[in-house]
Amino acid sequence: MALGVELDGVSVVFRHQRRDDVIAVKDCTLNIKPGEFLTLLGASGCGKTTVLRMIAGFQRPTSGRVLIGETDVTGRPANQRDIGFVFQNYALFPHLSVFENVAYGLRVKRLDERDIRQRVEEGLHQVGLDGYGERMIPELSGGQQQRVALARAIVIQPDVLLFDEPLSNLDAQLRIQMRSEIRRLQKDLKITAVYVTHDQEEAMVISDRIAIMNVGQIEQIGTAEDLYLRPASRFVATFLGDANLIESVIIDAGMDWCTLDVSGSRWNVVSPRRASIGSSVVAILRPETISLSAPQADGGGLKGTIVSATYLGSKVEYQVRVGDLKLQVVQPGPTSEARFVEGSEVAVSLPHLGVHILGDDNAP
Amino acid sequence: MIDRATFLPLISPPFTTSIAIVFSFGPRGLITHDVFGLQNVQVYGLTSTFAAETLTYFPIAYLALRPMLASISNSFEEAVFSLGGSRWHAFRTVTLPLTLPGLANAFLLLFGCSLADFATPLILAGSDFSVLPTEAYLQITGMFDLKTGAILSLLLLVPAGLVFYLQEHIVAGRSYVTVTGKASAISVRNSASSFAKFMLLAFCLFVCAVILYFYALLFYASIVQAFGANHALTLDHYRVIFSEGLPAIEDTLIIAFIGMPLGGLYGIIVGYLVGRTNFLGHKAMEIISMLNYALPGTIVGIAYLLAFNDKPLALTGTATILIACYVFRYSPTGIRTTIALLQQVDKSMEEASESLGASGFLTFRRVVLPLITPAFFAGLGVLFIRSMTAISATIFLVSIDWTLITVKILENMTEVALGPAAAFSVFVIVVVLLVTELLNITLQHLMSPRLRINRIGT
Repeated sequence: MALGVELDGVSVVFRHQRRDDVIAVKDCTLNIKPGEFLTLLGASGCGKTTVLRMIAGFQRPTSGRVLIGETDVTGRPANQRDIGFVFQNYALFPHLSVFENVAYGLRVKRLDERDIRQRVEEGLHQVGLDGYGERMIPELSGGQQQRVALARAIVIQPDVLLFDEPLSNLDAQLRIQMRSEIRRLQKDLKITAVYVTHDQEEAMVISDRIAIMNVGQIEQIGTAEDLYLRPASRFVATFLGDANLIESVIIDAGMDWCTLDVSGSRWNVVSPRRASIGSSVVAILRPETISLSAPQADGGGLKGTIVSATYLGSKVEYQVRVGDLKLQVVQPGPTSEARFVEGSEVAVSLPHLGVHILGDDNAP
Repeated sequence: MIDRATFLPLISPPFTTSIAIVFSFGPRGLITHDVFGLQNVQVYGLTSTFAAETLTYFPIAYLALRPMLASISNSFEEAVFSLGGSRWHAFRTVTLPLTLPGLANAFLLLFGCSLADFATPLILAGSDFSVLPTEAYLQITGMFDLKTGAILSLLLLVPAGLVFYLQEHIVAGRSYVTVTGKASAISVRNSASSFAKFMLLAFCLFVCAVILYFYALLFYASIVQAFGANHALTLDHYRVIFSEGLPAIEDTLIIAFIGMPLGGLYGIIVGYLVGRTNFLGHKAMEIISMLNYALPGTIVGIAYLLAFNDKPLALTGTATILIACYVFRYSPTGIRTTIALLQQVDKSMEEASESLGASGFLTFRRVVLPLITPAFFAGLGVLFIRSMTAISATIFLVSIDWTLITVKILENMTEVALGPAAAFSVFVIVVVLLVTELLNITLQHLMSPRLRINRIGT
């Protein structure tokens, strides 16, 4: 039965005797729906693992409440919560076989031998390790160990599955393969999952929603699309994907549009925002939305110079200098004729749609 | 094979090397007399003592240095090669400095061993020079002068304390070797030229040969009528040890088999308390238990003698005092191994157990305990070996009721009954080898056969 998870004003402060207190998590409120796959995304030290461990019961919040389903579990230690935890280093028991590792939680619950055998074999089947029961942990590869850790956590049929950067010790190829498997498994079992990672691509691929964290606080929660197209802050804009942050002033505005001044040119943008003329804003411009073309002799509009061009096969990345702006531009799959070399002049065309405007105070 | 050969001196009763040296280089020694035809060679004195102690204790240095050297990543040497350095250069500028703490530690260990060595000088030192432990012993047992004996032992405390202090504070702190935790791919170490390797190997093999020769000599001495005089084969000496010497054999075995489990348990309990808990005074407990191990045997023996001579605990002459001495003196190995193993049990494993619903106690029983079983067995092994071979501490604690094989060996040596002495020694070595092998097999059987377990005694 899938249960939701709720964090209500949760904070974690680590007190030190001789140093300053460290605020690992500050006033975090989070509502995870039953059956949802939510990823906590952020750089090292942002507090995402601490939040995960609080849901698990390994970390007590300094203030606030943790609820699983409707139950307040704030005071309960991990072994009294119905959770399954997949560790970054797998934390498999080296002295037990694969079978016994997976059966561990079931034995604690004192299920009878037949049930245990059936559930373990089913679990191993679900992670693609049929027949591996008698092997010992040191004999397995990283990917296989990861799967045993996964099986161990799911056979106990927990209310919530928690993942602490489970794929960071695997090589790139394996990571890509495993993340889809984890997602598929979660969907099949319909368990609520909370996943911690610093890898944005991973987050975007497997999650229903992503919560981006920065210095102990959640900056924004939303789907990958929400976060990418409508970042709530500069941090989110630059963390998820590449972004050009164009600081500008609104020189004209209407109901659902405004005009910005970019390097002397007028730039009309469709924006739902009610903007006041004269206010300072930041326009978020994704590199793939800017188009470059050969400069027309008589053409107005923005002109730029190619500072660098990097060929990446499926795309070319440019750095273009426009006035005193340096823009990142991505040109998908260009033919050799359409490519620009360093030093050449180009006409730069900015989009009118899909431009996200942030006020100078970072509020959209 | 070199490994096994170095194991032998560690499990031998005292005097083994001394006897062999006397047999080989003495007035009627096999090598000096029979092979080289020299007469009346003076074997007693500094040189022999020095040689005997080197051969007896070098395995300890080997055991201390081997893991150190093995853990120095090959990539250091490869880095030097890539920068144009020669093999010798790599050795001199990288390997050696990195090994320095290990060498210092080994030096201190051996310094301590030699300092406390009571048995070898007793046989080989002769009248030329005397050493503190032996003098203390002679004062107490020969002259019944407890006071002088105690004073001499206390003098021994000074260098012993210095050694202990140096080890704990200077060597332990400065570990240059970074244990990367990742075993580098196969690359066999290439730091010695073939010639150098050959010479070193030859030297090692020579040392092994010498050791094996000594033990062969010992065995031979136990089966001939009178070494040096009558070389008729006989089982008389064995008959003697199993008749007259039977009480000693029984006593020693009883004490060893009682002390073994007690010491093993004590080792993991203290190890767990020190390694995993943080109760007040746990550091003090660690130091005190280590102290018992670091002190020279004669000091400990005399101390026990004095402490338990009267009420409230008049234990002198009982088995209890012998067992207590062994348990408290030799558990530190078990304690240290437990602590080391506990450090390897990553906290996440205990958390994993917790996340699967297990209580604290269940986690300890099903996850931690199995992983520190090797420490328990290490403790068992060391205790048994020591109970069979130790002498410096316990020589003061034997009595009419309880006596030890090692003491019997000493008695036989002083009566120049070399045959029985050799027979006893062979007996001890065989028993120790048997029991340690049994312990190893049991350990391998208990643990998963696929896990790497270190042999007991290493």
